[in-house]
Amino acid sequence: MTALLRLSTVIDATTAFIGRSVSWLILVAVLVSAGNAVIRKVFDTSSNAWLELQWYLYGAVFLLAAAYTLQRNEHVRIDIATSGLSKRTRDWIDLLGHIFLLMPFCLLMLYLSWPYFINSFNNGEISVNAGGLVIWPAKLLILSCFVLLTAQGLSEIIKRWAVIKNIIEDPAAQRELPPMIEELQSAADLDKRMKNK
Amino acid sequence: MIQIIAHNLAPIMFVSVMAMLLIGYPVAFTLAAGGLLFFFIGVELSTFSNEIRLFYPLIQSLMNRTFDIMRNDTLLAIPFFTFMGLILERSGMAEDLLDTIGQLFGPLRGGLAFAVIFVGALLGATTGVVAASVIAMGLISLPIMMRYGYDRSVATGTIAASGTLAQIVPPSLVLIVMSDQLGRSVGDMYVGALYPALMIIGLYCLYIFILTIIMPKKVPALPIEARPLGGGVLSLFAVLALSIGLHYALYNYVFGDLRYETRFVWSATIATLVALAFSLANRHFKLGILSRLAEQVIIVLIPPLALIFLVLGTIFLGIATPTEGGAMGATGALILSLIKRRLNLTALKGALDSTTKLTAFVMFILIGARVFGLTFYGINGHLWIEELLLALPGGETGFLFVITVIVFILGCFLDFFEIAFIVVPLLVGPAEALGIDLIWLGIILGINLQTSFLTPPFGFALFYLRSISPKEDWDDAVTGQRIAAIKTTEIYKGVLPYIVIQFIAIMIVIFYPRMVMHYKDDEVKFNVNDVQITLPSLGGDMSNGGQNGGLPSLGGGLPGLGGGLPGLGGGLPGLTLNPIAPPAQPSTDQQQNNNNNNGGGLSLPGQLNLGNQPLNLNNEPPKIQ
Repeated sequence: MTALLRLSTVIDATTAFIGRSVSWLILVAVLVSAGNAVIRKVFDTSSNAWLELQWYLYGAVFLLAAAYTLQRNEHVRIDIATSGLSKRTRDWIDLLGHIFLLMPFCLLMLYLSWPYFINSFNNGEISVNAGGLVIWPAKLLILSCFVLLTAQGLSEIIKRWAVIKNIIEDPAAQRELPPMIEELQSAADLDKRMKNK
Repeated sequence: MIQIIAHNLAPIMFVSVMAMLLIGYPVAFTLAAGGLLFFFIGVELSTFSNEIRLFYPLIQSLMNRTFDIMRNDTLLAIPFFTFMGLILERSGMAEDLLDTIGQLFGPLRGGLAFAVIFVGALLGATTGVVAASVIAMGLISLPIMMRYGYDRSVATGTIAASGTLAQIVPPSLVLIVMSDQLGRSVGDMYVGALYPALMIIGLYCLYIFILTIIMPKKVPALPIEARPLGGGVLSLFAVLALSIGLHYALYNYVFGDLRYETRFVWSATIATLVALAFSLANRHFKLGILSRLAEQVIIVLIPPLALIFLVLGTIFLGIATPTEGGAMGATGALILSLIKRRLNLTALKGALDSTTKLTAFVMFILIGARVFGLTFYGINGHLWIEELLLALPGGETGFLFVITVIVFILGCFLDFFEIAFIVVPLLVGPAEALGIDLIWLGIILGINLQTSFLTPPFGFALFYLRSISPKEDWDDAVTGQRIAAIKTTEIYKGVLPYIVIQFIAIMIVIFYPRMVMHYKDDEVKFNVNDVQITLPSLGGDMSNGGQNGGLPSLGGGLPGLGGGLPGLGGGLPGLTLNPIAPPAQPSTDQQQNNNNNNGGGLSLPGQLNLGNQPLNLNNEPPKIQ
């Protein structure tokens, strides 16, 4: 179990690092997209490569951060029916959900995305738009997404099992506030502003 | 037995997957897993029912579906507007606005409530994030309203409702997602939403106005000591009148030969700039022509107006696509908070981190919904839904009324992304069969989804307001009075009248479609978006036309094409769309197509891809320019 938990820690650290790093690409995408509009207007020219870069960046963000989002327990749930159940029951729901809902989907997508990527890579597939970007890295992103998500799923299964067996404390702490408020609070001085009013 | 299951697989699947969602496992993965489970059941049962058009190789199309989601330019607007909203929240713009506008309206009964509605609308017009508006207004206005004796329910209800205006006033995320799912242009959706949004703001104000007459105690005016800026409304009116006059003159005489929206944006911009320059000069050189109040009001209006110009102005001038408008706005918000020195690295990181996680879960719901859709459309689930909805009495009105009620109920439990990605695509077919304009439908659904932010127990606006309003009694900093904590039931009670108002607004839009349909009068002006209008309806026609043999209304261009294509049937739809699909995959798609085209239905994979993918059709136009 210790070895598994160590594996889970390594996976968590990796996906969190990747998730946090790719979030900067949003800033890059914002600047690229605004720049595209300005350049098109001012210089009356546009490049498909730069237009495609926008969705490339965005794709990288949401695909590579999906595992991180799972780790932080921020994929939305409909919990009207289950929020009243005991913590233990909800732990079991999570564990079974990871095994029977998340994993089959991830493994299937993994199985499908490898040939999808490798075909594109071997053909040197390039965007149909004139001056567009190479396509295979985008397909590699899909593959990487499901590699990360599968790994994170494994880590979640280990952690949930350990929680049920009382080996570790629940790492996904219960929160009272909506995620967005917590983020704002941790990011900034919302706490101070709330007290000052 | 198996026969019965095979023939009723669509309803069985729908109900089972909805039940699976209630387990409380993340929606995205539950949807995907449910879709896959029924995919395999469907393939195994396909010999028992010719309505099931599923076969194993079809599963490969999931890759192209994921890739199409990735390439969707429209959805890029989600992170842009979210990020903009979070940064704007940091910039303190909302606080400045509320403080000043509150003092401007303060002397009136209900003035603070009007100010909250006005600022909510203004924030709504700059960004599309409810959380940011509600947090700012809850932190700034709620304590002041409590201090001066506002009714607690009226105060909290008004703040929550005004915060949701961000979702119906363009540029809103709801409208962007709606136009994406309905396959129409975002520009049209914005134009269509303009009057309904103004009407809703008007109805909110009317409600407060009625309160000031029948229950004035609930909405008192501010005493003089709460208004350090003093009076001087007259000079504000003078500046307002002058700039409107200037705008009118520019509009008619200087820019007379430009296109309608270009004229409007330029003359309004110049008139505003003149007013701003004047009040800045007044402050800087101490001219004393304007009152302090007027000067301050005009100056705090600079940032939001500049942002509105950056986002909506550039979109309507045709400089930016709606997505790029979001990026312009985000850049503007960044610059604004840098100028005000309100942005540090931690705050920026926090905003990026939140945006990342939000987009990841939103996009995964979409991916999950696509997996679900692959199976559901493959077993003719969309036809089952269509039959159900078309069997409703009352035709067009009956249909709109029923979906309003359904979406309203769903909105109490689901968040709007889930409704938009799962339910809305299913409504396109029946709506087109009834000849309902999709923009009109989109606006009606948009107001509905806006309402879902307000409905207890899961309305997000309530959630946000609850989390920042005091849970314990507190001593007011100014008056020293003991003020009781805000109860959740008070918030619920407060939003109730606003939910009724939302319902009235939806009914008005249903019975006076003109309010939205005027977007068609102006169609010529959006030449960029014209391209986007025709393409999706072409897609829609090919999928529907094949089955109905009919020709749903084409809303504009290409009347000849729609009639021609369905007749061709066979493998053609796949072929026709090749330019849009990435080159590698269609060959496999077509092979499957040919292998499996055993006469049961028309062109399976092609059709499936088309049915719920107006998306990628929609994205190409910017490149055409």
